[in-house]
Amino acid sequence: MVEEKELVTALQTEADKESAFRELVSQYKERLYWQIRNMVLDHDDADDVLQNTFIKIFRNINSFKGESKLHTWMYRIAANESITFLNKKAKRNNISIDNVKDNAVRKLESDVYFEGDQIQLQFQKAIATLPERQRLIFTMKYFEDHTFEKLSEILETSVGGLKSSYHIAVKKITEFIKTQDETL
Amino acid sequence: MNKNKNISGFKTPENYFEDFDALLFSKIDEVNLPKSAGFKIPENYFGNLDKKVFKSVKNSEKPTKVISLFPKKYFGYAASIAACLIIGFAVFNSTRENENLDALQMAAIENYIEEGNLNLDFYDVTTFINDEDIANLDLGKQRFSEASLKNYLLENMDENTLIDE
Repeated sequence: MVEEKELVTALQTEADKESAFRELVSQYKERLYWQIRNMVLDHDDADDVLQNTFIKIFRNINSFKGESKLHTWMYRIAANESITFLNKKAKRNNISIDNVKDNAVRKLESDVYFEGDQIQLQFQKAIATLPERQRLIFTMKYFEDHTFEKLSEILETSVGGLKSSYHIAVKKITEFIKTQDETL
Repeated sequence: MNKNKNISGFKTPENYFEDFDALLFSKIDEVNLPKSAGFKIPENYFGNLDKKVFKSVKNSEKPTKVISLFPKKYFGYAASIAACLIIGFAVFNSTRENENLDALQMAAIENYIEEGNLNLDFYDVTTFINDEDIANLDLGKQRFSEASLKNYLLENMDENTLIDE
């Protein structure tokens, strides 16, 4: 695996840019995909957002000044692209962002690329009730196991703020699941 | 406090004990949640992804081909007529019309942006701004009325933003 610093230098050198970008895609495609998928839920949407994320990385790599780590910068672009995608989808269909999330969760029941059981479906419904940023924090911490320190670099938020946000998200999710179980 | 008590010299991170209960209970709650999201991907999706990404990157670099609606030979006539009309319009209509035109253009631009048609984001914008431009930004001199600031915060803030900040 090529060291990140070398990769950045190669990406910013016209002659090496393409081969370095191939290396970058192969190193990060899966990690970025899952981060995006957990936000947009649908595979095809995740595929679109992932490609836009890589296009943005490719186009803006020369303005990357190394103030943060390359992968931190890429995760941040993926996070912003996911939220922008959801907002655009809401605007395009003239519905609220909550409706977009509800529709996406409802579609999971018949989605061939979702193999979760009823509990996992309930879990996704609960996650969809969170506001975007809180959902991002929760999914990045819970499913991708980023440390709060890493998340703090990616999302440019204090560790304390992230911990509180995460804790509130867990509380909301468990309460949602409890309420749903009681009504069944 | 017991004066004879030995002091270890250890310290805890700021707010450690204040946050401890909340973090502990969130860990306990987490134990009962499913460990995976339940998503799957099409067969060999990641194997074919590199090619797909490259194709998208290459396509995004290609300038879009514009097909002309009118043949070029008519452009000369059209341009002359348009120029005459604009000059005539400018001569007979003074500044008031210009102001209206400016206002109309600004409103149209605002609508265009609000409708999400402007495909620019933070990363695109930063490519047009250099360090000198940022240094020249004099944000301190901007003035917002207290009422509009209050309205903005009421409409746009939620408890999570407050916690995050």
